[in-house]
Amino acid sequence: MANRRQFFKTFAGAAAGIYVAGRGDTGAAAQAPAARRQVMVGGRRVRVVDIHAHSAVEEVEAVVQGTPFERQGRVGANRRLGPERIELIDGQGIDIQALSTNGFWWYSATDRSLASDIVRAQNEGMARWVGQHPDRFVGLASVGLQHPDLAVEQLDYAIRKLNLRGVAVGGHMNGEDLSLPKYDPFWAKAAELGAIVFMHPGGAENIVREGAFDGRGDLGNIMGNPLETTYFLSRLIFDGVFDRHPQLRVCGSHAGGYLPSYFGRTEAACDVRGNANCANTKRATEYLRSQILVDTMIFSDEGLRHLVNEMGVSQIVYGTDNPLDWPATVDLVLDAAWLSDADKEAILGGNLIKLLRIT
Amino acid sequence: MANRRQFFKTLAGATAGMYVMGRGGAANLLQAQAARRQIMVGGRRMRVVDIHQHWDMALPAEIVRGTPFEEFAKGGAGLDERIPLLDKEGIDVGVVGVNDFWWYEATDRGLARAICTVHNETLGMWHRMHPDRLVGMASVPLQFPDLAAEMLQDAVERHGARGVTIGGHVNGENLTLPKFDPFWAKVAEMGELVFMHPNGSANIIKDDGLAGPGGLGNVVGNPLETTVFLSRLILDGTLDKFPALKVCGAHGGGFLPSYFGRTEIGTQRGNQKPIFKKPPREYLRSQILADTMVFSEEGLRHLVAEMGVSQVVFGTDIPFGWPVNVDLIANASVLSDAEKEAILGGNLIKLLRLA
Repeated sequence: MANRRQFFKTFAGAAAGIYVAGRGDTGAAAQAPAARRQVMVGGRRVRVVDIHAHSAVEEVEAVVQGTPFERQGRVGANRRLGPERIELIDGQGIDIQALSTNGFWWYSATDRSLASDIVRAQNEGMARWVGQHPDRFVGLASVGLQHPDLAVEQLDYAIRKLNLRGVAVGGHMNGEDLSLPKYDPFWAKAAELGAIVFMHPGGAENIVREGAFDGRGDLGNIMGNPLETTYFLSRLIFDGVFDRHPQLRVCGSHAGGYLPSYFGRTEAACDVRGNANCANTKRATEYLRSQILVDTMIFSDEGLRHLVNEMGVSQIVYGTDNPLDWPATVDLVLDAAWLSDADKEAILGGNLIKLLRIT
Repeated sequence: MANRRQFFKTLAGATAGMYVMGRGGAANLLQAQAARRQIMVGGRRMRVVDIHQHWDMALPAEIVRGTPFEEFAKGGAGLDERIPLLDKEGIDVGVVGVNDFWWYEATDRGLARAICTVHNETLGMWHRMHPDRLVGMASVPLQFPDLAAEMLQDAVERHGARGVTIGGHVNGENLTLPKFDPFWAKVAEMGELVFMHPNGSANIIKDDGLAGPGGLGNVVGNPLETTVFLSRLILDGTLDKFPALKVCGAHGGGFLPSYFGRTEIGTQRGNQKPIFKKPPREYLRSQILADTMVFSEEGLRHLVAEMGVSQVVFGTDIPFGWPVNVDLIANASVLSDAEKEAILGGNLIKLLRLA
């Protein structure tokens, strides 16, 4: 390509955004993807913060060597944190990425000491990486929820000593609902610390019969994931977890699953179903508009509009699922003609800057 | 059974045998007629057609005696109680199906035929008594697809049925399997609307997988079954194979129309090898329909935005106590008068060939 301007025009396509030289840029590096996209809203540079990004750290590998978790603890190429991750967020215009480790395979570590070692390695490893790139990453802690009292200590250590900013959880504990009373100390601690809880599903294994999603369409992922998130958030509402912990903030992956986009049935449930036995003291919509957040992985303008109408701008946060194969939605937000500039800025980063205490 | 009247008296049981206009006779005629709500939009009288009504119909005991289905000889109220309810809500036509599809488990062909025959004959009789108020959807034994096709035709041609109700699976089997093609072919050939109604995703979830406060076995389990059913129709190429096929999913079409982005993008990801021919959204806007059971104006606006107004049809789930919402639609600021008319009844009048 002849010159930088031509390169930018080609690369940028239809999206709004300015590409400027990234790290290590020299004249010869013009063709390398070191260009960092800068996102502008109404002529102002805004910070883009991504709640939904997957990672894993090598520190765990030594800990799980010789245990049943050796395979799961191995850091796969697409979870690894290195220069390629920085290139990825540069290219996508993400200023700060909140990292978390999903899979939650360590929930099966019944041995307290092993669980403790795994989680410590995950959190300290994450803190190490974030500490090396404090202007580009924040961390969401892992906890060993299978030992709730331990999880409370781990969360406290991660937030107060390791400077992590929130905590990631799966949708269930080996099939158990996380709304059970035994997990209450964890929810209390998260609320007390102001630590956002980021929930990521793993195919609804607690709900779905084995093989039920076999066949075309990858439904175990396409449907199992939002199903797990829907059920998880519903349990928090209907079992009174949000009532017991009014400061608790929980973000559901993939636009909160089905819950916010198909909310009428949830709302009507406690009124209509005689056997519903709902424990929530407020109407379900109140939690949706205050304590529940969702990422922007909704993939259409109309989908985003519906989310904003149901939840309010303050509850929508930018998320990508990096580094997995899903389209980035930054332009979806930028191109939403019905959102004000202030709303766009809030969704793209403003909400998370507050929630993750980013300065 | 000796004659039709005897059959009917036996069937009706404790309820009033025959519905006559204005319960209690002519003296109450004026009162009964005055009690019938009329829905107006933009100064015009709307004809309101409800695609989603249930009837828990009792079967004659002799049909199910000695079978695993004896409990279905006991049913709920007769359909005569339905008319005052329609009047009160302002619904002109209730389209009625016998759902739950428990008879799919009948392994004996003769028994399956007998059960569905009673359904179709009885619904047919109610339709003949109230042709402008009650329409039956065909009840078919889908576990025998060729028989289901035959009985669908019979119900439509001889008993005034319009459309056909089905569950989301047959004893756990996906309805996109080739064995069900004769049924889909017949539906498409006859141009009959299929109304799919779930029953708690028994084909998908573990027992008690959705247990606990909130009634999620229904609140989530029902839309889940519908979502998988409709997704499979796209993914497995059934909608391509039968381009005339139109299928309405209960409860707003489950999650599918309201959370469509993940389905759309999901099929485009690198690990997919789709066999269907059109962009998924094309099916959503032409061959898939949804009833209006989303319970809010915003939910309705979103449904119409995603599917197009032609694909959205009024439905209530009467008599199961969900909000009826005829006023919500009639008063919706997000819909034009023409859209309201289409959703409240216009679409169904065409799709069900109502006079």
